[in-house]
Amino acid sequence: MSRLTAKALIATALVPLLAAPAAAQDYGNFDGYTLRVKLIGGAQYEPLYAEISKWEEMTGAKVEILSRKNHFELDREIKQDIAARTLDWCVGSNHTSFAPQYGNIYADLNELIDADTLADFVPLVLEHSTVDGRLVQLPRHSDVSNLFYIKSLFEDDDNKAAFKAEYGYDLAPPETWAQVSDQAKFFANPPDFYGTQYVGKDEAVVGRFYELLVAEGGQLFNDEWEPAFNSEAGVRALDWFVDLYNANAVPRGVPNYLWDDTGLGFASGTVALNLDWAGWSAFFNDPENSKVAGDVGLVRAPKGSSGKRTGWSGSHSFSITETCDNKEAAASFVTFLTDHDRQMIEASSGLLPTRTQVWEDAKANFAAEGRDFMVEVFDTFSASMSEDAFTPPLIPEWIEVSNEIWPRIQAAMLGDMSSQEALDAAAREALLIMEDAGYR
Amino acid sequence: MLRYLRTRQAKLTPILLLSPALLTMLFVVALPLLFSLYTSLTPYRLTRPESIETFIGLRNYIRLFSDSGFWSAFGRTILFLAIALNVEFLLGLGIALLINRITWGQRTLRTIMMFPMMFSPILVGFQFKFIFNDNIGILNNALQSLGITDQAIPWLVDGKLAMFSIIFAEVWMSTSVFAILLLAGLFAMPRDPLEAAKVDGCNAWQVFRHITLPFIMPFAFIAMTIRSLDVARAYDIVSVMTGGGPAGRTELLWTLIARTGYENSRMGQANAMAYISTILSIAFTYFFFTKLVAARRYMGGAE
Repeated sequence: MSRLTAKALIATALVPLLAAPAAAQDYGNFDGYTLRVKLIGGAQYEPLYAEISKWEEMTGAKVEILSRKNHFELDREIKQDIAARTLDWCVGSNHTSFAPQYGNIYADLNELIDADTLADFVPLVLEHSTVDGRLVQLPRHSDVSNLFYIKSLFEDDDNKAAFKAEYGYDLAPPETWAQVSDQAKFFANPPDFYGTQYVGKDEAVVGRFYELLVAEGGQLFNDEWEPAFNSEAGVRALDWFVDLYNANAVPRGVPNYLWDDTGLGFASGTVALNLDWAGWSAFFNDPENSKVAGDVGLVRAPKGSSGKRTGWSGSHSFSITETCDNKEAAASFVTFLTDHDRQMIEASSGLLPTRTQVWEDAKANFAAEGRDFMVEVFDTFSASMSEDAFTPPLIPEWIEVSNEIWPRIQAAMLGDMSSQEALDAAAREALLIMEDAGYR
Repeated sequence: MLRYLRTRQAKLTPILLLSPALLTMLFVVALPLLFSLYTSLTPYRLTRPESIETFIGLRNYIRLFSDSGFWSAFGRTILFLAIALNVEFLLGLGIALLINRITWGQRTLRTIMMFPMMFSPILVGFQFKFIFNDNIGILNNALQSLGITDQAIPWLVDGKLAMFSIIFAEVWMSTSVFAILLLAGLFAMPRDPLEAAKVDGCNAWQVFRHITLPFIMPFAFIAMTIRSLDVARAYDIVSVMTGGGPAGRTELLWTLIARTGYENSRMGQANAMAYISTILSIAFTYFFFTKLVAARRYMGGAE
């Protein structure tokens, strides 16, 4: 019997064991009830929704999906519902970065879902899902970024010798952001090849700046909720981006990049180092989509000068409206969508689970299937989810403040302002927002 | 008495007959407009519905008058509009004249010409975003392979190039509006003046300048009016391609308004911006209608 067959047999044998706890779970009986929901749509989110019919069979309820849009459109729709006072639905997709904006339209799940169920989730992720002491969302899957790199570049002897000669230390996958900067400049050969890249607009670049700010020992707001990101640490963090831009170590177009651009850029084989989300792992290692497949290395996100690693994190989640006419059914539904078996489905495509057990079981499955890279991915990301992950401040003003920061970050990159001027200008606007919102 | 009633009835009849239309206009157009005008006088936030009850007078407008970001976007929108309309007009005119000359396959060409208009602006935005991508985009790769440049040209980052790129996408999508309307004008043109001009010995340029062009100008002004309203509200393409950035270099009125209204939830302030921006649309519409009337009068031989 070949090793692969043996692995497959073990994997098959494990399935009934893994399925056992879920089969025992009672999701209640809601015969004749129609649960109205608004869910996030998109290729990577849809496979889970194929499972909804199972919940319908178990409970006798029907699920009516009122909308299935990307998160930004869903966000608009929910805000319109709040404005028009038409929150006549029960369950909505949510996200840890978006949740604080919605005030108290969502119910506290500590009161609706039993403590035993909640105890199975990663504690830090539940903490991130809590706003003002209320658990307003049940996390579905999480995300955090780690550093992908092209392995062969680091194994090449000529590169090693040349790097050592130029920078005085050995070429190895980077441990700090200062090393990333050195290596990015070393590998860059524009316009054919770049050292690294980053997203450059919208909340995306503010998130990246924010995590580096934290890793540099700074903070976004001080204890009085006054903007504090225009500190020395803030300038160091922003300088990191500006310096790489000026050195041509990143593509000239980065101020306009979002996640698709960085993901496709790394997969095109023209970028040496790329900090990116777990969701891209399988894509980067898939020969059909990626020129670097089989040559992808992964290390935990590097540290800033304070010794802390970057770890901007967020979770997709489900929330239940306060106006829901059957919160029990809604709680049963969101518990079902985030239960062990459902998370195993999402994890098999590389999405990061929020249940402690699923991390282990998904990893065992990858090992049994011989997908060693995915085992490495889950090892690396589980370490950063439990040790490094942090969210932006969970306040309603986060998105609005970030909309004041990103144009100034871009202005600094493009040389319109110095890093200090850019951050000072952003801090002035952010202060106005915080004052308007009654923080001072 | 009877006569009085009858005259009164006769006077009321048109109003009665018009009332369904008037009521529809009132509910569909006037009331929403009045409501949004009112919200522009409040600190209305989508996520705090009760904020609509706070009246703050002209505070939103006063803030805007000292907001340099808003006025830059306002000026940039006028520039965007002026360039896009002129380029679309010239290209549309050229295409219409060329298609008007061919005798075989004209219908097929007319249909093909409409293709860009059939795409959703969001798709057009994504298409051009990837064409203009500096690292993996087709355009830079083509230019580098052909040896025209060895640089990665930052199409969507450099201030001027970024404006050029979004205007290019806008023009690509909508030039056919001009072409179709101008073609309709050319089809409707009587042959007699053209033949008379030829008999009188006019050359091709003189015929075009003094007969064809004046005849199709009313059509051009109608197209410009429609397109000026469209372009002044340009949002999807810009939002996808540059999001108004980098550093606000391609920020137009509606990318700013949408961000303020939806992402920042400040609908009151966004409505104030939108009201000021309608001045722009009204000004352009008035300008083009004046031109249209003048062009018609010219055709009627009054001048």
